[in-house]
Amino acid sequence: MLYVIGLGLSDERDITVKGLDAVKSCERIYLEAYTSILMVEKEKLEAFYGKSVTIADREMVESDSDTILNNAQNVNVAFLVVGDPFGATTHTDLVIRAKELNIPVQTIHNASIMNAIGACGLQLYNFGQTISMVWFTETWRPDSWYPRVKENRDIGLHTLVLLDIKVKEQSLENMARGRLIYEPPRFMTVNCCVEQMLEIEESRGENAYGPETLAIGCVRLGTPTQLFISGTMAQLLDEDFGEPLHSLVIIGKRMHVMEAEMVRSFCPEKYQVKFDEIYKRDYE
Amino acid sequence: MVNFTIDQIRALMDKVTNVRNMSVIAHVDHGKSTLTDSLVSKAGIISSARAGEARFTDTRQDEQDRGITIKSTAISLFFEMTEEDLPDIKQKSDGASFLINLIDSPGHVDFSSEVTAALRVTDGALVVVDCVDGVCVQTETVLRQALGERIKPVVVINKVDRALLELQVTKEDLYTSFQRTIESVNVIIATYNDKVLGDVMVYPEQGTVAFASGLHGWAFTIRQFAQRYSKKFGVDRSKMMDKLWGENYFNPATKKWTTKSTDANGKPLERAFNMFILDPIFKLFDSIMNFKKDVAFAMLEKLDIALKNDEKEMEGKQLLKTVMKKFLPAGEALLEMIVIHLPSPVTAQKYRVENLYEGPQDDECAKGIASCDPNGPLMLYVSKMVPTSDKGRFYAFGRVFSGTVRAGLKVRIQGPNYQVGSKTDLFVKSVQRIVLMMGRYVEPIEDCPAGNIVGLVGVDQFLLKSGTITTSDAAHNLKVMKFSVSPVVQVAVECKQASDLPKLVEGLKRLSKSDPCVLCFTSESGEHIVAGSGELHLEICLKDLEEDHAQVPIRKSDPVVQYKETIQAESSVTALAKSPNKHNRIFMKAAPLGEELSLAIENGKVGPRDEFKARARVLSDEFEWDNQEARKIWAFGPDANGANLMVDLTKGVAYLNEIKDSCVAAFQWATREGVFAEENMRGCRFNILDVVLHADAIHRGGGQIIPACRSAIYAAAYVAQPGLMEPVYLVEITCPEQAMGGIYGVLNKRRGHTIGEEQRPGTPMYIVKAHLPVAESFGFTADLRQATGGQAFPQSVFDHWQLMNGVSNEDPKLIEKILSIRKRKGLKEEIPPLDRFLDRL
Repeated sequence: MLYVIGLGLSDERDITVKGLDAVKSCERIYLEAYTSILMVEKEKLEAFYGKSVTIADREMVESDSDTILNNAQNVNVAFLVVGDPFGATTHTDLVIRAKELNIPVQTIHNASIMNAIGACGLQLYNFGQTISMVWFTETWRPDSWYPRVKENRDIGLHTLVLLDIKVKEQSLENMARGRLIYEPPRFMTVNCCVEQMLEIEESRGENAYGPETLAIGCVRLGTPTQLFISGTMAQLLDEDFGEPLHSLVIIGKRMHVMEAEMVRSFCPEKYQVKFDEIYKRDYE
Repeated sequence: MVNFTIDQIRALMDKVTNVRNMSVIAHVDHGKSTLTDSLVSKAGIISSARAGEARFTDTRQDEQDRGITIKSTAISLFFEMTEEDLPDIKQKSDGASFLINLIDSPGHVDFSSEVTAALRVTDGALVVVDCVDGVCVQTETVLRQALGERIKPVVVINKVDRALLELQVTKEDLYTSFQRTIESVNVIIATYNDKVLGDVMVYPEQGTVAFASGLHGWAFTIRQFAQRYSKKFGVDRSKMMDKLWGENYFNPATKKWTTKSTDANGKPLERAFNMFILDPIFKLFDSIMNFKKDVAFAMLEKLDIALKNDEKEMEGKQLLKTVMKKFLPAGEALLEMIVIHLPSPVTAQKYRVENLYEGPQDDECAKGIASCDPNGPLMLYVSKMVPTSDKGRFYAFGRVFSGTVRAGLKVRIQGPNYQVGSKTDLFVKSVQRIVLMMGRYVEPIEDCPAGNIVGLVGVDQFLLKSGTITTSDAAHNLKVMKFSVSPVVQVAVECKQASDLPKLVEGLKRLSKSDPCVLCFTSESGEHIVAGSGELHLEICLKDLEEDHAQVPIRKSDPVVQYKETIQAESSVTALAKSPNKHNRIFMKAAPLGEELSLAIENGKVGPRDEFKARARVLSDEFEWDNQEARKIWAFGPDANGANLMVDLTKGVAYLNEIKDSCVAAFQWATREGVFAEENMRGCRFNILDVVLHADAIHRGGGQIIPACRSAIYAAAYVAQPGLMEPVYLVEITCPEQAMGGIYGVLNKRRGHTIGEEQRPGTPMYIVKAHLPVAESFGFTADLRQATGGQAFPQSVFDHWQLMNGVSNEDPKLIEKILSIRKRKGLKEEIPPLDRFLDRL
């Protein structure tokens, strides 16, 4: 049996009871550690489970999945995913492969950024399409997410923006040389994301959003240091959000009064006048 | 420095109409450097006595020892025209003082890249041809290069003393041989002529051909003799010039000119050229060499040549040299020809600009170049790096095409990969100092206006080998030079002591800078590789590396040859490759590009920087491409300019432009390291037929697309009858008839293939032309000498890539070759299996 188990957002104790039971029944345990990261070390997991855990990096999951699936017809194997297993889409491939090999698969869900984001005060019903933001390079500045934000905004929905992380990536040169040398981990900040979004808005000029659009920076969701700061995009550009992981919500026009009240409470006091003014002008 | 000072020269640099930038080009050993010396002696930098021995422009010890030029060297000369000659200059000029920037270039084919670099910064060329050897393979190569750069040629037929002293020919024979040589030069000019340049064929009667003996320091053009005789005959000089060449005869009995070679009674008449020009020369030679000094002295008196007392004591050759130098001073004749017939920068840049500048022809930079405007935006092309006495530092040697460069000026240094608007290959720095390069010496100057050749201090570390220096933000690059030779031969080097490694690495960097053509890189297996255009070139490079650049003892491997991987058919199936996360799929097919198009790309006729619509038109008109497809070329590779193409044939794929970058990167990588032997690919076209992409950019970044696209390219090539190409030299061997048997023996043993043999007219020498695989060429020269008792002299020049028989992964010989290359590179000794690259749906 292949168990695909969600670990939740914060630490080792976020796993569900069912998930923990499954883990304890497994012969081999893999922790997927590149689409997101847990806020605690692998050793803490091992201590909590009483079992050893293997880190599965991108190479292993994408290019060497046979190792993970080896003999899973006969023994139990756990594949641990931070958040919810199907929050990050890349794992469907593993499930398909398991099915091809006649390995039964069971999924154990958990909280994900996709539902925990409700904590920012906006109702999940009012979210539109989720997008992710990658780091721009000199020559690669993809903006295919822009029409989605615009679609969401046009019908008044909120947009959840997930920010790029590079946990264990090769530089282009090392990839070309086939050298397994990895860049230090990087996590995108809300500031960087807002900056890139405003740049694309400026170049496309289709008015999907702008410096005066309200947004919420949501960081370290589900952990003890969770933090929300709301305000205009221009204002978020300069806020200090601290440690990773960061995400961003662009607020849609169809904001309920209850939503607005909650979001306003995350706005730093000195900006609240501005917040009220824009709320009155664009959102009421 | 008798005749001029730096201040005088600097003043002349402002009068651009009176500047001539010219290179001296020729086949090896036709006497360029010796001839250059006689020019230098005229301009007064070394004393007259040493001209003919010193080879002033051969600045290096090995150049002096070997008697060949290795590096091109620049020198500035000063020449004063006489007032009465000024009207002959058919372009704008100002006063009678002229500044000539001369670049002496190497003649050996292995160093042709030096010639290319020299031609770029000059507007005219003095083509030197040996009067006995005639037009040789390298004469043709350099002349073709010159015309390609829109450089106007004038010709000097050199070593006339050899014909007189060694071959003892008759006057008419000599005339015929001159005529034949000029004809063959004109055939080449006609073949490669650029219409914009106008008629640049050379005619003795117009004064664009000179006859000289560099060694003896004398030269003449018909113009000079015409000047002497026009007074005597009372005929206009230009009319006289016409009469002194070709089918013009003088009847001494009737004192009438005629175009018939016989008089009324059928008695043969003597050709005017023979009678008026060759005759006095022949007589001087004859009387002096046969010790009839009284006859000679009588002639000298008639010719107004005064000898000093000690000179009168001389005998034989020494006397001949002195007399001829006084009679027909080489510097005078050649400098006059250069000033009258070669274009000034003002004249030349008008028609050169469209060949030089990559940007639009109506922007301020193009205009500055076209008008050679010293007040325009600075446009300077650095064509090569010259080592300074300061270890590891270089002068950036180049030509100012527009504006004025001065010390301290803040400039944009644009490397060959710079694109307008981007920051790649761009530095903004200040020029530290400016120098005038003069052979062995440099002289600092304050500034340098458009139209002049100059050396810059302080920009060398920002440029690899060449580049554009400008002050305009909007400036495009000046076109990158195309070399006629490629680095096809390589060796691996290592230091004898491991602790010397840092010095070796630094030395390799310096070597790479100091030579326009050499390539230094680190192979997959960590070896340091030096690649050059031929055995001699490599030998010189390695010597430089060991003695100058690294200064540590090195060990070198046997030379190895670079191959190219190619395909011989269209892919038999569509290749599919998935990204590591399986969410992206690329469908691709490969097809051969065709030899003509590959060549057109390699010669720069079709290139990545062409305007895409114009390029599409050329492709559809001349290479039978579909016009729509031709507009969708994504990239040239490897190195963004090689003879492989990636073409987008997809229809209506969303986000396609967001993966283009990754695909191009994969394509560059794959074409640089082909699927079987990791050698460069050549002549392949990769068509992207379709792609399936994940909707979210995060799942289709470079990490996903590059490996997928690379696999697709490899798989597509794998199923398209993959093949291997080897480089082949054209060798030209000069030898006497009895040595030919030996030549054929050596050629046969080395897979050589004779393509022609002919006798050089008027000599007992034969020329054998053959194709010889570069892989078989190591030690060829030595072998040939041995087999012919030292009578045969080969010149090898890279000619083409030859497809080897068979399919890479089937033919046992090719497999063996590939495995040996892989072994050398430290790769796994196996033919990689297809399923490593090809995915199934």
